[in-house]
Amino acid sequence: MTPMIEAKNVHKYFGKDHILKGINLTVQRGEVVVIIGPSGSGKSTFIRTLNRLEAHSEGTITIDDIELKDGANLDAIRKEVGMVFQSFNLFPHLSVLENITLAPTKVKGLSKGAAEKLAMDLLTRVGIPGHANKRPAELSGGQQQRVAIARALAMQPKVMLFDEPTSSLDPEMVNEVLSVMKELALSGMTMVVVTHEMGFAREVADRVVFFDHGQILEQGPADDFFSNPKEERTRVFLGQVIRH
Amino acid sequence: MSLKKIFPLLGAGALLFAFFLGIGPILNLLPEPISPNANLLRDGAIATVKLTAISGFLGFFIGLALALLHRADYRILRLFSNAVVSAVRGTPLLVQILFCYFALPVLLPFMTLNEFSAAAFALALNTGAYNSEVFRAGLNSVHKGQLEASRSLGLGRIQSFVFVLFPQALRFSLPPLMNNLISLLKDSSLASSIGMLELALAGSRISSESFKPVPVLTTVAVLYFALTSIMTLCAHWYERTQK
Ligand SMILES: Nc1ncnc2c1ncn2[C@@H]1O[C@H](COP(=O)(O)OP(=O)(O)OP(=O)(O)O)[C@@H](O)[C@H]1O
Ligand SMILES: [Mg+2]
Repeated sequence: MTPMIEAKNVHKYFGKDHILKGINLTVQRGEVVVIIGPSGSGKSTFIRTLNRLEAHSEGTITIDDIELKDGANLDAIRKEVGMVFQSFNLFPHLSVLENITLAPTKVKGLSKGAAEKLAMDLLTRVGIPGHANKRPAELSGGQQQRVAIARALAMQPKVMLFDEPTSSLDPEMVNEVLSVMKELALSGMTMVVVTHEMGFAREVADRVVFFDHGQILEQGPADDFFSNPKEERTRVFLGQVIRH
Repeated sequence: MSLKKIFPLLGAGALLFAFFLGIGPILNLLPEPISPNANLLRDGAIATVKLTAISGFLGFFIGLALALLHRADYRILRLFSNAVVSAVRGTPLLVQILFCYFALPVLLPFMTLNEFSAAAFALALNTGAYNSEVFRAGLNSVHKGQLEASRSLGLGRIQSFVFVLFPQALRFSLPPLMNNLISLLKDSSLASSIGMLELALAGSRISSESFKPVPVLTTVAVLYFALTSIMTLCAHWYERTQK
């Protein structure tokens, strides 16, 4: 089987700033890859190129055998790639239910009834079936992020991207989001997760990738990576985040 | 659409209806020179509201179109939008009205407009230019993550605008749009300069024919004030439904 994501020699420039310097990363179907690394190392920029919120400057990205370019195949890929943001980005003018049903009805042409049924199933799956008719602002951060996950899942994506999904949450809400992500990983979803949650990485990741200065400095299976990092920079970084 | 949301609209309709129902009988009760001219004043007020409604309606869409052109990918469209807004903001409304009525037909013979259309056209363009700045600010105030979320869900550019950006921008924009509409109602009095019979021109005619400017112009001012108050009230109701 071909890999789900194949990024080859991906470069990104913002003006003159060379932010991604030749990223090569292959993600197999069903694999969970966690990306860690210091602030400003290009983690967000890279994960955002995977659904073309940022266009890469050089190299190729292939998702589910479709090359990521502007034009018609971009829409095809965006339907297959779900994204969860640090700041949730729920639509504040819509109810929780409408947040979830918007894309399935408008993009996939699902009937309102079918979309609502799907939304309720997903809200049950992420553990908040009782809040369907509330506005996002009425929910806690952890609940909002779970709605955002449900909203992305409603498009039945083949890949889920997470950019620091728990970083803006109060500590007591981090686990409710991580456990939803854990369940998702166990269900076989292909996931790319940027996070500082080392416990999650250790427990759930198939592979950990360490970004530094726009490059992948080191990667490996989660156990190896944490017990026996090869690069000095990785050791320093792990020492810092784990102590926190 | 819940009843709560359309209440301000229903309220505005009801108040305007009451205004036009009541204005004739009330003006008839007043002494000379108001009561003999009650019909003229009422027709003037109706014309003012019509002019405001039509140019306000068009100005809403002109404003939205100019704001969208300002965000267009093509530089030429952005320049066009900026040029229109600068031209309108940098010249007096009175000159714009006179231009649409007297000069436009000379330049473009098919644009020969009657008084009402010329005034409505000029007012729509004028309020549209000011509305475009309101829409620009409204669209800018929507967090950029909203568009990213919408696009990453697979919604296209137009769908993202219609379902995600615009509803949020409109919410920010409605109070200042309402202020522009109130200004428009008052500014529509400049249509009298091309002989369009609206409330101000009716007042000025009655005043000069009767030689009684104080009661006549006071009545006209009170009628304008009543109309703007109705609009202010509806804006307040709207803001309360937002809480
Ligand atoms: N739109 C942009 N324009 C210009 N520079 C940008 C833009 N987005 C990101 N950068 C720069 O690219 C670099 C990498 O940023 P990025 O957000 O990818 O880092 P990160 O690894 O996600 O960091 P963090 O852990 O703080 O989220 C930073 O130096 C940032 O200033
Ligand atoms: Mg980041």
